[in-house]
Amino acid sequence: MNAEPTPSAFSDDDLRRRRAAARRLGWLLAAFVLGLYLIGLLIKR
Amino acid sequence: MSIATTHPGGHAAEPYQGGLRRWLTTTNHKDIGTMYMMFSLIMFFVGGLMILAVRAELFQPGLQLMKPEFFNQLIGIHALVMIFAALMPAATGFANWMIPLMIGAPDMALPRLNNWGFWLLPPAAILLTLPFTLALFGIGDGALATGWTFYAPLSVQGGMGVDFAILAVHILGISSIMGSINIIVTIFNMRAPGMTMMKLPLFAWGWLITAFLLIATLPVLAGAVTMLLTDRHFGTHFFDAAGGGDPILFQHLFWFFGHPEVYILLLPVWGLMPHVLATFSRKPTYGYKAQVYSFIAIGLLSVVVWAHHFFTAGMPVPALIYFMFSTMAISLPLAVLFFCWIATMWKGAMSFETPMLFAIGFIVLFGIAGLTGLILADVAADAQYHHSYFVVAHFHYALFAGGIMGVMTGVYYWLPKWTGHMYCEKLGKLHFWLTVFSFNLTFIPQFFLGLAGMPRRIPDYALQFAEFNAISTVGAFILGLSQLIFAWNIWITVRGGKKAEGRVWESAEGLEWELSSPPPHHSWETQPVIK
Repeated sequence: MNAEPTPSAFSDDDLRRRRAAARRLGWLLAAFVLGLYLIGLLIKR
Repeated sequence: MSIATTHPGGHAAEPYQGGLRRWLTTTNHKDIGTMYMMFSLIMFFVGGLMILAVRAELFQPGLQLMKPEFFNQLIGIHALVMIFAALMPAATGFANWMIPLMIGAPDMALPRLNNWGFWLLPPAAILLTLPFTLALFGIGDGALATGWTFYAPLSVQGGMGVDFAILAVHILGISSIMGSINIIVTIFNMRAPGMTMMKLPLFAWGWLITAFLLIATLPVLAGAVTMLLTDRHFGTHFFDAAGGGDPILFQHLFWFFGHPEVYILLLPVWGLMPHVLATFSRKPTYGYKAQVYSFIAIGLLSVVVWAHHFFTAGMPVPALIYFMFSTMAISLPLAVLFFCWIATMWKGAMSFETPMLFAIGFIVLFGIAGLTGLILADVAADAQYHHSYFVVAHFHYALFAGGIMGVMTGVYYWLPKWTGHMYCEKLGKLHFWLTVFSFNLTFIPQFFLGLAGMPRRIPDYALQFAEFNAISTVGAFILGLSQLIFAWNIWITVRGGKKAEGRVWESAEGLEWELSSPPPHHSWETQPVIK
């Protein structure tokens, strides 16, 4: 794998877009975790 | 001290703070990685001191130094500290430091969550260990004395140390889930252009699987200990047979988390190994795709094998057979990893710097963990070895030789990158040889003790076990003292030493080596492009 730094910096827009996507996925994963926890608590044998 | 820095792309507002405020409020992945590593090292010694006290008690038969209740507390808290406060934070420290550098990201995707995730750890560690201190002042009856597994009904009846540990495990779990979410979204969203998933460094792949395992299993542990809390204080009977509950249910819930936890501790190290082996063999990694698919296979299999931890509790024969064979099936992708590691070294121009020594030591000793694990996976054999010292020896080959020696491999490999200084090679090699010698001196006798029938978690034992216990204790003290060399080597490397170049190791491959050592406070201000 070769890496070649280019003169172009991370743009504000690019980083903002990536972080927004990361936040959305983060909330989705957090909801999954909370759901798993609550389902576990509510299961009755 | 405050040095203003500019950083394109939204980081410009964060000044480079000096002093305590920097460490309290930092959102920089390298600072947070450093804090994780420091915390891990401190807790490694705390957990180590606990078990040295245990080994001192076991040096001779009879009770010499402590009451059985205190012995039980030390064993349980040693395990919780080593797993949750030493090994897991060390792996998270690696991830924080290295994943953004490796994938060409300027930072983790969610930096404030990152800070929060770390600062949850110290209060949790205090909660775990505080009952010891409180007991000295006559408050309560000490720490958790159930072993790290919290098995009901003992944990339902235990003292307030159980409550402290339940709260601590909740907090540690929340911290780990935050870290995992951050790592997943960072890998998915922050990779440099051109870095496809099949170009992702294997260390990042190992951590990605780890993070998914954490978010899939930690809520189950949290649920189980919450149910335990309600059994203890709010009149429920989840695990109380007298009230219609089932103590074995707790074992199922606990080990649904507990077995994947083994792979959670090991996958980051398995991801690291190919980097180290390729660098010091001066060859490309052998079988990149095979290793990625093995990580995924092990991750999937790890969540369907949990009941092999309690074969002896009783379950239907078809269940026994299923859990036996599914457990043994894990050895297939694991064997693929071993073959790939060995093939990476095969006919390479190998050199034996400290990280390479630890990597080879890891392969040999972790191999023993794998082979003894196969014995324990066998239902018939497990009936004899369950709850014996054979199990203790087996999982220390997995978690010390596999986990902690893997972490030491990573520390020696990346310390020059982190600090900008080369560590002392002589001290590193001395540390390695003393660790390998004393580790085997400690744990080989424990295999024989287990085979001879010595049960684990007892402060006193029959005279027939005396010699092997004495040898094991001597080994444990040498092992403990050897780790002071490790700490000293880190200290002198942080303070100074020969300057390290950006590409610390001549044949190291990957984006992280394109940056200076240490990397600038804000790395990858210019976007790397992967060809």
